[in-house]
Amino acid sequence: MTQLYTKVKLYLEANSKTYENERINIELQNDGSGDYIKSWNVSGLAKPTAEQIASYETAANTAESNATIIATRKTSYGVWQDQLDEIFTDIDAWKTRIAKVKTDNPQG
Amino acid sequence: MSYIGSKPANKPVVASDIDPTMITGQTALAVAPAATDEFLVSDAGTLKRIDYSLIGNSSYFKVAGSNVSASNDTSTELTVTSETVDSAGVVASNRFTPQVAGYYFITATVKYPSGTDIDFLGCEIFKNGSSTGAGTSIVSKDYNAISCSTIVELNGSSDYVSIFGRHTTGSTSNINLQNFFGFKLGN
Repeated sequence: MTQLYTKVKLYLEANSKTYENERINIELQNDGSGDYIKSWNVSGLAKPTAEQIASYETAANTAESNATIIATRKTSYGVWQDQLDEIFTDIDAWKTRIAKVKTDNPQG
Repeated sequence: MSYIGSKPANKPVVASDIDPTMITGQTALAVAPAATDEFLVSDAGTLKRIDYSLIGNSSYFKVAGSNVSASNDTSTELTVTSETVDSAGVVASNRFTPQVAGYYFITATVKYPSGTDIDFLGCEIFKNGSSTGAGTSIVSKDYNAISCSTIVELNGSSDYVSIFGRHTTGSTSNINLQNFFGFKLGN
């Protein structure tokens, strides 16, 4: 089961809006019985129905899996200061290492 | 002896008629008054009795919780799992529902129990499931905790307060209620 947040984000993007821009117009809440949309004040876009939210389950699953993979890659890449040092020392070795990180952690 | 057989005239009891031993001669109450113990007061010139519960700082409480799984950027009600004190048994199902109307001071601390960097952690005080506008957010790193406080008016019957946490780690993450306490403010 994916997060309601992810499905709402995808619903907004499918309607030419972004979560970042609309964040102040949306309240997601959980009172102990699951996530729900507490308030929705997005101009020009109706609050999604339960069916519309459910239709994003597969896409949300892919998005969340990719987010996990990106986080794993980020950790494996290391901090940029160390990478600059690697590039300075042996850029080809750095490219090989980065390519392996990507191969080992493929996105869906 | 001329007044024998006569009815005394009605005369109000005044301050000079009262001897301090009316009070000092009574048995001392060596503990805090019970909620229903009563006092006599002059309410704009009219004598009335009032329960101690209406003038004290009760109820008061201090509780804490454990980890709750919270979705990204979703205000999530935090759970209470232990009580240090709950003076009137008014904390239940993660909510403080005092049975005396008035203003209450509420404070809480929310913790993100991880060493991972976090961009946003929020501590929010909700009344009846909606934000009171009292809350704090923080951009922080490493081990994270944030506190929030407010004064809120509660009706003494159905109104309740609970603490919500919010984060933007990107994925579902644990957050917990490190402490949650409050008390009634005197009138």
